[in-house]
Amino acid sequence: MHVEIDWTRCDGHGLCARLAPEMIELAEDGFPIVRRGQVPDAAVVHLKRAATACPQLALRLVKD
Amino acid sequence: MTVLHPPAPATRPPAIALGSARLLAGTRGDHPVSHAEHTAIHGHPRRLDHSALVADLERVRLLGRGGAGFPVAVKLAGTPSGPRTEIVVNGSEGEPASFKDRTLMRLAPHLVLDGAAVVAGALRTRRVQLLVHDADAVEALEAARAERPDADLFSIVRTGADHGFVSGEIRAVTRALSGGPAVPPGRRVLPAVSGVDGRPTFASNAETFAQIALVALLGTTAYAGVGSPVEPGTTLVTVFGEVPRAGVLEVPTGLPVAGLLGDGPGPVLVGGYHGAWTTCADLGDLRLIRADLKAAGLPLGAGVLVRLPADTCPLGEVARVTRWLAGESAGQCGPCHFGLPALAEVVEAIATGREGAAGVDRALRLTGLLPGRGACAHPDGSAAFVASALRTLPDELEAHRHGGCGRPVRGVLPVPAR
Repeated sequence: MHVEIDWTRCDGHGLCARLAPEMIELAEDGFPIVRRGQVPDAAVVHLKRAATACPQLALRLVKD
Repeated sequence: MTVLHPPAPATRPPAIALGSARLLAGTRGDHPVSHAEHTAIHGHPRRLDHSALVADLERVRLLGRGGAGFPVAVKLAGTPSGPRTEIVVNGSEGEPASFKDRTLMRLAPHLVLDGAAVVAGALRTRRVQLLVHDADAVEALEAARAERPDADLFSIVRTGADHGFVSGEIRAVTRALSGGPAVPPGRRVLPAVSGVDGRPTFASNAETFAQIALVALLGTTAYAGVGSPVEPGTTLVTVFGEVPRAGVLEVPTGLPVAGLLGDGPGPVLVGGYHGAWTTCADLGDLRLIRADLKAAGLPLGAGVLVRLPADTCPLGEVARVTRWLAGESAGQCGPCHFGLPALAEVVEAIATGREGAAGVDRALRLTGLLPGRGACAHPDGSAAFVASALRTLPDELEAHRHGGCGRPVRGVLPVPAR
């Protein structure tokens, strides 16, 4: 499982960083930075919530 | 920073083969090769089916010549054959410092067309489009097509003046040919799966197609008879600045890169405006082999090699190109749309002595925020260009901290007017 951001959609609302802080943080430019590597099991539910909450639907969880 | 009126860029750099002329055979500097001359020199390409062509391309380890250097055999093997499949020859050459594709299409159009015909035969399709920006190249291809018995196979599409760097990216190209905007899509879709009008598409750079033609004309053994065994054959590079021979050069792979750039003191740019800066000392005995250059952090990209002459301000040159790169952002993705202009601002401030060490730190931090945060590689490539310049030019940074280096910005690196 990994996180994919559609950068053409992302407007930097920042909900993802609040809902899944273990995988996503906001950089100084206000846009998200996704931590590299595998998504830990505990974070999956948070990321799913973030993907649903994203106002631009820019975040996706993709199976490897 | 003093910007001189930039010298008019040479729109027709000489085409020179060092060693064996293959792509440039018969061009004699600036002579377009007619169909009769072409067949006299090269003969007719072998007809190869899909699996035979894939096997041949794998044997000669052909890598795409557009910039990414992806194995062509893998791409072709992944493209389904059939009459729905589209073939796109990308001759848009959006890299302003590169002249190799337009030169090749102008002087040896039949090699490019032969390559497209070979792929069309292997994929059993008749949908072939050539996307070209340069007016002279379009004219040469049109004239060449009219000379050929298979003329009706090819559609030549001229791209508009608004067609920039990012719109030459292959997914942007297939999108434009489908009637959409010439910008990369946000979701990663492989053209082999869904390209032009949603059909499977084999898209590659113009030189790649000419190389495919040579494989079909020469056979794999003769093709691999020159160049490095790691990446056999010849390759086209655009070389300029303070160099022994400036122009579009056809060279066997495996040559020492330093030999093409000479041993002047000026900094060296490898790969173009998505490439990286280095010094002659750091170049060492690196050879012209894509895998080696990539491993050294100096990807060959579209094949641009520049040594800046001593009479121009390198930081000013870098600042001009960075500003241009910022303007070339398609504006689709936040980190690039906001990050590149911010970066251009800081680099200009460094070049004009308005920013010292703090500016350099800020520029490096901004370059760190760009990679991997866009729909295409424009932010990544631009960040590499600037970050490598700042690492390569410590003495220049020191001089500019105290007001400047005293040299004008000559505009050695071409930047198209907007």
